[in-house]
Amino acid sequence: MENPIRNIAYDALVIGAGIAGGETALNLANTGYKVLLVDRELSVGGKMIMLSKVFPTLDCAACITTPKVSEISRHPNITIFTGSEVSKIRKVSDNEFVALVTKQPRYVHIEDCTACQLCEKACPVNVRDQYQFGLIGRKAAFIPFSICSPKAAAIDIDNCTLCGACEKVCPTNCIDFTMEVETMELHVKTIVVATGFNLFNAEKMPRYGFGKYKNVITAQQMERELAPTRPFNTILRPGDGKVPDKIAYVLCVGSRDASIGNPVCSQICCMYSIKQAQLLMGSLPMADVTIYYINIRSFGKGFEEFYQQAKGMGVNFVKGKIGRISEKENGNLILRYEDINEGKLQEAEHDMVILSTGVLPNTGIDKLFENQKLQLDQFSFIGQSDMLASPAKTSIEGVFVAGTATGPMDIPDSILSAGSASSEAISYLIQHP
Amino acid sequence: MGELNKKSAKILVFSTEKISDPAIDMAGLLKLHYPPTVYTISIPCSSGIKPSWILYAYEKGFDGVFIAADGSDCIYGESCTEKTGNLVSKTHNLMKEKNIDPARLRMAAICSVCSESFVKQVRGFNEYLLKTLHA
Amino acid sequence: MEKKPKRIGVYVCHCGGNISDYVDVEKVRRSVEGEDAEIVVLAKTTMFACSDANQREMVEDIKANNLDSVIVSSCSPKLHMLTFRNVSVRADLNKFTYVHANIREQASWAHSDDKNGATEKAIHLVKAAIAKARYAEPLETNKIRAVKTVAVIGAGVAGMKAAISLAQKNTDVILIEKEPFVGGRVAQWDSLSTTTETGKEMVKRLYNELLKYDNITIMTNSEVIENKGSVGNISLKIKKTPRFINATACHPDDLKRAIEVCPVEVPDDFNFRLNSRKAIYKNYPSEYPQIPVIDVKNCTRCGECEKVCKAIDFNEKEEIFEIVAGSVLMATGFDSYTPAYGEFGYATSENVITLPQFKRLIDTQFDKLIYKGKEIKTIAYIYCVGSRQTDGENTYCSRNCCTSTIHAALTAKNKFKNITNYHFNRGLRTYGKQEILYADSLRSGDIYFQSYEDGLPKVSVEGAKTIVKVNDVLTNNREIEVEADLVVLVTGMVPRSDNSIGTLFKLPKGRDKFYNEVHMKLRPVETVIDGITIAGACQGPKNITESVNSALSAATKSYTILSRGELETDPLVATIDPEKCSWCGACEEACPFDAILKVENGKKVIAEINNTVCKGCGMCAPVCDPDAVNLIACSSREIMSMIDALV
Repeated sequence: MENPIRNIAYDALVIGAGIAGGETALNLANTGYKVLLVDRELSVGGKMIMLSKVFPTLDCAACITTPKVSEISRHPNITIFTGSEVSKIRKVSDNEFVALVTKQPRYVHIEDCTACQLCEKACPVNVRDQYQFGLIGRKAAFIPFSICSPKAAAIDIDNCTLCGACEKVCPTNCIDFTMEVETMELHVKTIVVATGFNLFNAEKMPRYGFGKYKNVITAQQMERELAPTRPFNTILRPGDGKVPDKIAYVLCVGSRDASIGNPVCSQICCMYSIKQAQLLMGSLPMADVTIYYINIRSFGKGFEEFYQQAKGMGVNFVKGKIGRISEKENGNLILRYEDINEGKLQEAEHDMVILSTGVLPNTGIDKLFENQKLQLDQFSFIGQSDMLASPAKTSIEGVFVAGTATGPMDIPDSILSAGSASSEAISYLIQHP
Repeated sequence: MGELNKKSAKILVFSTEKISDPAIDMAGLLKLHYPPTVYTISIPCSSGIKPSWILYAYEKGFDGVFIAADGSDCIYGESCTEKTGNLVSKTHNLMKEKNIDPARLRMAAICSVCSESFVKQVRGFNEYLLKTLHA
Repeated sequence: MEKKPKRIGVYVCHCGGNISDYVDVEKVRRSVEGEDAEIVVLAKTTMFACSDANQREMVEDIKANNLDSVIVSSCSPKLHMLTFRNVSVRADLNKFTYVHANIREQASWAHSDDKNGATEKAIHLVKAAIAKARYAEPLETNKIRAVKTVAVIGAGVAGMKAAISLAQKNTDVILIEKEPFVGGRVAQWDSLSTTTETGKEMVKRLYNELLKYDNITIMTNSEVIENKGSVGNISLKIKKTPRFINATACHPDDLKRAIEVCPVEVPDDFNFRLNSRKAIYKNYPSEYPQIPVIDVKNCTRCGECEKVCKAIDFNEKEEIFEIVAGSVLMATGFDSYTPAYGEFGYATSENVITLPQFKRLIDTQFDKLIYKGKEIKTIAYIYCVGSRQTDGENTYCSRNCCTSTIHAALTAKNKFKNITNYHFNRGLRTYGKQEILYADSLRSGDIYFQSYEDGLPKVSVEGAKTIVKVNDVLTNNREIEVEADLVVLVTGMVPRSDNSIGTLFKLPKGRDKFYNEVHMKLRPVETVIDGITIAGACQGPKNITESVNSALSAATKSYTILSRGELETDPLVATIDPEKCSWCGACEEACPFDAILKVENGKKVIAEINNTVCKGCGMCAPVCDPDAVNLIACSSREIMSMIDALV
């Protein structure tokens, strides 16, 4: 941290390499600007690259993200830092920001790694795989996930025992335990914040039993079970590996709920749950899938038709708020809920429950700015200083915002918001040469 | 094609890159099924199909040819409808000369979202061809 | 000299199960491997052909195996044809040597009910692609100079924002508005949700910004009537209808008098026909441009206005302008759904109005809410009128109406005394932060009833009374009856009924009849017509923020197309075989673009293609009796060899 590498200059710094940040970087790069794209994860692609398929077209998420990711990683005007975080930003003048970026060591030289996976096989350490949301384990020497970019191994130094097994088997000698934290001082003319969102931690609602009952999982975990690059070859419940045949979705977990501090609707959960239900009906034709909802919000282009399609396929929609979930000895779950259509309290038994958790702000971004104030909105999303006429503008001139950093948004809206932020950033670069 | 599987007729579809092909793609997306012996060749505009291609298809063993025409949506102009109509009637005449049932060539305007209409058309055409050719 | 046989590589994509769940991809691979022995020198399957890792592998394969051409058998070419053409280019192949086979939309998905059938079809489709690749030759792209001007059609909020952002990027903009005034729908609103700024103030702010840029030309009362050329060089003919008012001779007081003396009364569309206006008019005081207009369709030329105002000039003539733009950005907006006669009492009960009418009504009234001479206290809102129809054409949700209605209802409640709001909805869709508005509404005491999908509310008229009845989901099927002073039909957004501009530009529409993007996620503001982008609600229902995001995205795209100054266009044009041609003129007659030239070629006169004008439609090919015309990449030998492979 002592001696930052200085005098690295780019036209634009894009923080966050999810679909919004990636799109922004591409737009800027395609108009001739030099872009630095920074992401704290080991791969670019954000949350979208981990999804199964996307509504309402049912394109596989990988088919949309991987070519974009490939274009980003190849673009001569884009430099990518993964495993890196922006730690400080200072505005020096109208067209100059100074940013400190800290790059964590990967302990693998990306350019030499062939992703042969021999290190993975050799590593004796087993830990929970954060990229499969804990559904399975991984090694301490590992390739983050099969379609990650850069496609290269990384060493999880916190869990590594430094046994050296991976170094021995690596055919290209790309593992290097001498790598250190690098700190860089960057000079950029404009900044786009595309830091995305966090999902609600379902453990904060103990009455639903997540973390306690094994067959209660989150929709994010179900995404992985449904993804083409999925950890198991079929859909199964984690408790005993049984293929479920009576599946329940609980909507608005951590959304529209003032009691847990988030009164906002997350905007995507209805649709992703309907999408998962359709995919489940496809892969488990005999299964019953029930969605417990308050309101179904299928508002976008083609969404209502997608909802009607799910009903046509036989997905059950029950208007009711789940009060409590309890577990039976056989691992099945009892859902107690108020059935609004019937007007009474009901109980239903399911063998697997999926919690459709909501969208929360990714906090702390405002703290990066040293001599300027990045305003947040009342929900701690990044504030839009002119929400109607210039949705990508923030309280700091020259700093723009793209995607879900401003609030819940689906993928098409995130991409349009990225187009909007790109437009503002290009204009800013032209107006402040 | 072998004589084993005659539950569906061999149909060659001429689709257009920007108008009818997207509709046929969407039929797939919506899982609207139609016989798997329906094959598509995509070209820029339905008014660019040569009668000789159609005749060649029959000669080689296709039971039917279906033109998924641009209709009034054609991006190259209004004259497409008339010109596609002209080439169809020219081909019909050539078919009569060769003793080929003119009904083995069908045409319908398929707009870029006319997936259901496309599927209905080819299913109907398939039934007709099965009835007349393979009864 | 005998040509060396081509070396072709074939990739068959699993698409992570989308293909391989129904098509036996390994069988497809085996069946083409070694096809014509020396031709297919490599055939592989891959989990995701489009992934970065596979793209890299393809580049290596092409180089290591000296491939002349590659084929990827995967999804629709609309998704990834460009991706794989670029892979070829990175491996030093000409991009036109790349051939695509669509075995997802047109095999695995279309025939997911028949795995054998789907597999057989996929094999044939890949073989047809190989047949095509046999003839795929390297081609030089045509390079054209792009005109750095964007024509923005529609000066609503989306169009104005797009114009400003393009002007900021040193791009010339011609902003064309059919109406005599700018501002579109937002100019019709006063109070807006999430801000204290009114719609009219927002429009004024944007207009003032437009005026700051010398490189924006604003044309009101103007319509595009002709469209020629293609991306980079699009010629438009614009008809400007005169205002019949000489701006320089304009004295505001005289003009005011002129409006007063006009004897013509016509329904006022600006106020959604709630009232009437004169044949000389302006809609509201701060409107732009600040010059009234004479509505020539309704003016009787009685001459009364001329007597009191010397600015009136009936000698002004319609003007035609010709402009050239590199790209066209469509921002033509939406219409509000007009209910059918008798639909929820529309036009049959005098207490029934639409949401836009209601918004105009509350904006134009003070102290008391009066409609048709009667004070309004109880208001019933019926949601989803013209949207989410189960037996009508509009199956889509119109997205913005829930929020808009709740905002209007709250505005009415705050502005007038003793208002009670009853919301007859079908499940509220105040998505995202708009949820807060719904919570505010509940807190203010608004009452919500939700109807069953098969039990929409019924409106009946009993004398002067208007009664709304529904069976309510929220209270377990209880029949609710409300006597309302006013029934507001929450009408959604529908595509413009006047689609002349869409017809002119040949813009395809989606299932909902709004203009359609190429791909919702990959190319959300582009259309299948190169160089034409779409913005705002003409693509589908949107609120203001969403419209502006889409407008700025479209501006980014139009700018990106033109920013390099030079464009590459596909050289997939027609060719003439000079041996066979002996000029008959049939091709010239068939060509819609005047791309056929008559030239001397040695002793005879033949046809020649003007490559920069030819758009490659092929209309000239079937009309040529000696069969001298072929399209590049769609020639007879290619099509016939594909037919051979498909049979």
